[in-house]
Amino acid sequence: MEEDLISKKELLELTGISYGQLYRWKRKQLIPEDWFIRKSAFTGQETFFPKERMLRRVHNIINMKGDLSLDELAEKLADTTSFAHAHLSLSAAQLLERNIVSKATLDRFGDATAGGKKYTFDQVVHLVAVDGLISKGDMNLDEADGMFRTLTNNTARFAGKSWELFFIRKMGASFFLLAAAPAELIFDEGTRLVSRLSLTDLVEQLNGKLN
Amino acid sequence: MNKQPLPDLQLTGITGGAGGIYDQVILEGVCRVNGAVRAQVIKANGVITFNGNATAEEMRANGKLKVGGTLQFGSMEFDGMMTIDGDLRGENCSLNGMLNIKGDGELENLSGEGVFTVSGLLSAGHVDYRLQGQAKAGEIGVETLVVRKAGGSLWNKLASGLIPKLRTELITRSIEGDVLDLEFTTADVVRGGIVKIGQGCRIGRVEYLTELSVHPDASVGKVEKGSE
Repeated sequence: MEEDLISKKELLELTGISYGQLYRWKRKQLIPEDWFIRKSAFTGQETFFPKERMLRRVHNIINMKGDLSLDELAEKLADTTSFAHAHLSLSAAQLLERNIVSKATLDRFGDATAGGKKYTFDQVVHLVAVDGLISKGDMNLDEADGMFRTLTNNTARFAGKSWELFFIRKMGASFFLLAAAPAELIFDEGTRLVSRLSLTDLVEQLNGKLN
Repeated sequence: MNKQPLPDLQLTGITGGAGGIYDQVILEGVCRVNGAVRAQVIKANGVITFNGNATAEEMRANGKLKVGGTLQFGSMEFDGMMTIDGDLRGENCSLNGMLNIKGDGELENLSGEGVFTVSGLLSAGHVDYRLQGQAKAGEIGVETLVVRKAGGSLWNKLASGLIPKLRTELITRSIEGDVLDLEFTTADVVRGGIVKIGQGCRIGRVEYLTELSVHPDASVGKVEKGSE
């Protein structure tokens, strides 16, 4: 799974932040060390970032910066549980209206659509995870059933710690793996890692839409 | 958390001590501390070795200091020679002498006179350094950076006596920052908002956003103005 990369220069042009800010955020650990990807370019070594995650992170930092000091922000970003809205509850209508989950996903997995029940934060995260993979066409609906079940039954065990979900395929059969993040998994040959989702990314993605 | 008063560690002479959590660590003479140290205040005079990581809110040291791990502090004043095997992290740092970091240096404010060697990335809010010899850094990323050649102070004469034939200059691969004011700097790439290339600079490529000035004695390869 190749992620789109963005060069440091492009990032600064796109977001309007300066070198100083970027390095300051790095010092305060607002941007994880492993997002800085060194690659050689014709002008020498250049730094690249995972495009989507980085843009979302920058967006979140700029949005939250008003109310918080950089140190508080770093703490908040490091700790997914506080990042999560513990008491958040959204109705099906709200999920659709804010474009968080697609109608198709909600119809199939949001078993409480009819009752006007509200979804908790965890449930919304699970829906977002499933929705993302379905809409990208990475998995079919049967697989999505399995994945949704895996998430619903097991994520509570991580008790607020960050987890990662690996969706792998080998010879047509699909599997899900849940591991405490950051996980370093190595697969045998012929295994295809279709997708890798982390709680942190999902929460961040969701936060971007809620703000 | 812990309301008990913390003990002090006080060593004088040629001695050693154990790491741990202290209120004050006062070391004088030739001292070696085995294990990680965490303290409110560290005062060290002489030839001091910390085997592991050292963390202090406030640090004052003179002489020769060696840290086997990472050194972290709120504020530090240092005169002499310092070698750090890990990273250096802190808020305010005022140096006089030689600094050698094998890892990265991450500081909010760095001011000083002398030379430094940083193998990794030197990242800082504000750097104001007066060079007295050859300084090196893998990369530099800052908000503001001012590099100057120090005047003929006593230290300068002493240092050049100890290490002859060293040109006074800063050598690095790349410098990136908002405001850069350089003298006697050799770099492959300099990227910044406001860039001032002073005398004695040899820069391969300069990219700037708003302002650029180049001293007639400086050599600059390629110049590129970035778009806002």
